[in-house]
Amino acid sequence: VALRFRSLLVVTAMAPLALVTACTGGQPVAGQTAAPGAGAGLGSPLNPGGGPVPSSPGSARLTLKESGSTLLFSLFGTWATAYHQQYPNITIKLAPGPLGKGTGSGQGIEDVSTKKANIGASDAFLSSGNLVQHSDLLNIPLAISAQQVNYYLPSLRLPPGKRLQLDGPVLAEMYQGKIKKWNDQAIQALNKGISLPSTPVHPLHRGETTGSGDTFLFTSYLSATDLAWNSQVGFGAAVSWPNIASAQAETGNSGMVTACSVTPGCVAYVGISYLKTAQDAGLGEASLQNFSGNYYQPTPSAISAAVSSFVSDTPADETISMINGPAPNGYPIVNYEYAIVLADQPNPAVARAIKAFLNWVITKGKGNSPSFLNSVQFQPLPPAIVKLADAQISEIK
Amino acid sequence: MTATHQPPTSQPGQQLSGQQTVARQAVIRQPAEPSQPPGQHAAPRQPSGRLSLRAAGARLAGSGTGGTPAVLRSLLTGLVAAALVWGVFAAWAVDQHASAASQVANASERLTFAAQEMYQKLSDADVTVTTAYLAGASVPLGVRQHYEADIARAEADLATLRSGSGSASAQFTASLTSVSVWLPLYDEFVGKAQAYNSAGHQPTGGSFMQVASEVMHLKLLPAANSLYAQESASLGSVSAQATGLTWIVVALVFAAAIGFALLRTQRWLHRRTHRRVNYGLAWASVAVIAILAWLAIAFTSARSDLENGLRHGSTPAQDLAQASTFAQRARGDEVLNVISRTGSMSFKADFDAMRHMIGPGPKPGTQLALAAAASSGQGATGVVTAEWDARSWYAVTEPVFSATNYAGETEHVLGKERGSSYAQFNKLQADLRLAIKADQATFTASATAGSDAFGGLEFGVILAALVMMVGSAWGLSRRLAEYR
Repeated sequence: VALRFRSLLVVTAMAPLALVTACTGGQPVAGQTAAPGAGAGLGSPLNPGGGPVPSSPGSARLTLKESGSTLLFSLFGTWATAYHQQYPNITIKLAPGPLGKGTGSGQGIEDVSTKKANIGASDAFLSSGNLVQHSDLLNIPLAISAQQVNYYLPSLRLPPGKRLQLDGPVLAEMYQGKIKKWNDQAIQALNKGISLPSTPVHPLHRGETTGSGDTFLFTSYLSATDLAWNSQVGFGAAVSWPNIASAQAETGNSGMVTACSVTPGCVAYVGISYLKTAQDAGLGEASLQNFSGNYYQPTPSAISAAVSSFVSDTPADETISMINGPAPNGYPIVNYEYAIVLADQPNPAVARAIKAFLNWVITKGKGNSPSFLNSVQFQPLPPAIVKLADAQISEIK
Repeated sequence: MTATHQPPTSQPGQQLSGQQTVARQAVIRQPAEPSQPPGQHAAPRQPSGRLSLRAAGARLAGSGTGGTPAVLRSLLTGLVAAALVWGVFAAWAVDQHASAASQVANASERLTFAAQEMYQKLSDADVTVTTAYLAGASVPLGVRQHYEADIARAEADLATLRSGSGSASAQFTASLTSVSVWLPLYDEFVGKAQAYNSAGHQPTGGSFMQVASEVMHLKLLPAANSLYAQESASLGSVSAQATGLTWIVVALVFAAAIGFALLRTQRWLHRRTHRRVNYGLAWASVAVIAILAWLAIAFTSARSDLENGLRHGSTPAQDLAQASTFAQRARGDEVLNVISRTGSMSFKADFDAMRHMIGPGPKPGTQLALAAAASSGQGATGVVTAEWDARSWYAVTEPVFSATNYAGETEHVLGKERGSSYAQFNKLQADLRLAIKADQATFTASATAGSDAFGGLEFGVILAALVMMVGSAWGLSRRLAEYR
């Protein structure tokens, strides 16, 4: 009994500790956070402006790969050459694409997303679809561009000082096959005093399956100005074009110009950097009706006026459509040319080189100087847009 | 060895005469002579008059009868100390469980519901407003009110989460801050989108709508999801604390050990003194038995109620909430597919992924299948209806993603007529809301019952410990007094 009693006292004292040791277990802790870099371009409202942007690319010998817009291709080439001259350790290699003029905006975004290229060139900002798949993509404006509407009417004789005038609804009907000849009453109504030929209308559109920034801009203009087009076709980098016999699909801006120059009666949408090429090929460029009902050619002043009305409203990620904007003296199809980059770079040296190069491109007196932009009819970025672009560049790491 | 404890002048069950009693008391009070053989008399008293429990045990084991007063003192000290320690420990353990159960019923589940509702309302606001954008320049008043009600509800849930966050983790605080900062910006972008749209600048309105949706999908919803995940983990942790066995089992075993010690002490006294009942120790024993029964019944009942509430209420409600979230994301895929107009099939792929997670489907483990297995009563009926309507919704969404047919897609996404994607989606969401509400009611009823089962138990434990201490002290001190 005494032995049992002694044992009992010991057990009574030790029981809590022994049972705690036997019964204690851990608790799982769950938690989820946003993906790293997700929505980096949207900025941080708590820390606007991000971090510093290096002015030089560092000393590492690097080759940065570019892929994308045919509209930006030639300018990117001159930027690449000039940058290499200033920083010989940095080489920027452009993807020539099937025609040696670039791979197209859609392919550029794709190549950056899949890390086949460091910098994409795009005429259109990223879509939600792009960001669903790669939430750390950024679209950084490099310059202001515009889109002209070319036509080829060899028999047309314009009175001095007159330009052929077109508006959204008329262009929409031409692309839908409702206006079949150039002397249609609807076109004539816009061009009083001009004798229009009865040449059949041949609408040209881009045929890249990966999508085209130029198609996005043009169909945006048609959707903004014509309810029927908006509800039946809509806008996008790739759309279901109305199936009409006279329509033709072409590849790249150069393909559009070349095809138009051998197709009397053609109408084609072409990026402003091909203005001189189109003029040399004998194509005319139409004046387009803006939101206020005024007609404008894609002149530097009309392009800058159109952009200026949006500057103060531009969001931090610089995703903004400026099609058919409110400026009464603005050209209706204007846009930013974008660099597409991933915010999260695998290598700090590459990140630094990309940041320094993009900063050089958007800086007045460097890549954004008239000596580079004038050759392709682009306009420099307004200072407020440069500031936002630098804030986005600073998100690259 | 047991035989040595028998007094030489008595036999078991024999009544002592008055003279014999006096003589026996004299023997007991007389210190034993060193020359007397062991086992015949009590051990000599220690000069200090006190023995440690270990020494008492050793004395008993080594000397047979030993010094009875010293042993009595040791037992008194040991039992009172054990009862005191047990009382403090058991009261703490009961308080831990009762507090956790109360937190589950009143706070944790409420915060989890708030986080889950905030996610749903944010997601619904985005789908509502993007759908309105697709509808054209003028946003119908009803749609605008729906959007504003969603945002107001999300802000109220955010306030609930903020007020209930207490000493929250850095991650929780960061997620709260993220929602607080981005929600007004989201609303601002939506406002700009509608302003440009109304003014006739639809492409600009569309791009602002896209930015708003990006804020929603890349900033707000991940932060809201993180809050929900953290609240959900917190609920799991508190629930485990409320239903965990460790401390209650320790308290029960500890009490049983004290009860055993009381029993042995009474037997030992009975053999020493031939008194059948020591009332003090008997009351202490009754208190041990009563509190053992109360503790076991209350805890078993509370654990059963809480687990029932979690298993058949909270868990299926969370499964259904997840199904609702996936359904909203799939609906967002439909809408964004039309808005972005890229021709990309990524939205279709995401929609299909969501559909396979929502269910019903051939594979097990879908959210609806999990909820169906766990729900009961009205909740189970609601899940069956939701499964039926989910199938109908999937059937009408097939044409939505057909290649670049924007006119057709828009009609499907916006069409309000019976059988359209919009109508079917709303029907599914209504089913899910009703089923979630039924499951939440199941949880609340069970969790409240579970929490109530601990009512008064802490007081009972303290009272029992006091009775054990007083009873032991009184019962043993009376015996001890007989030696003075």
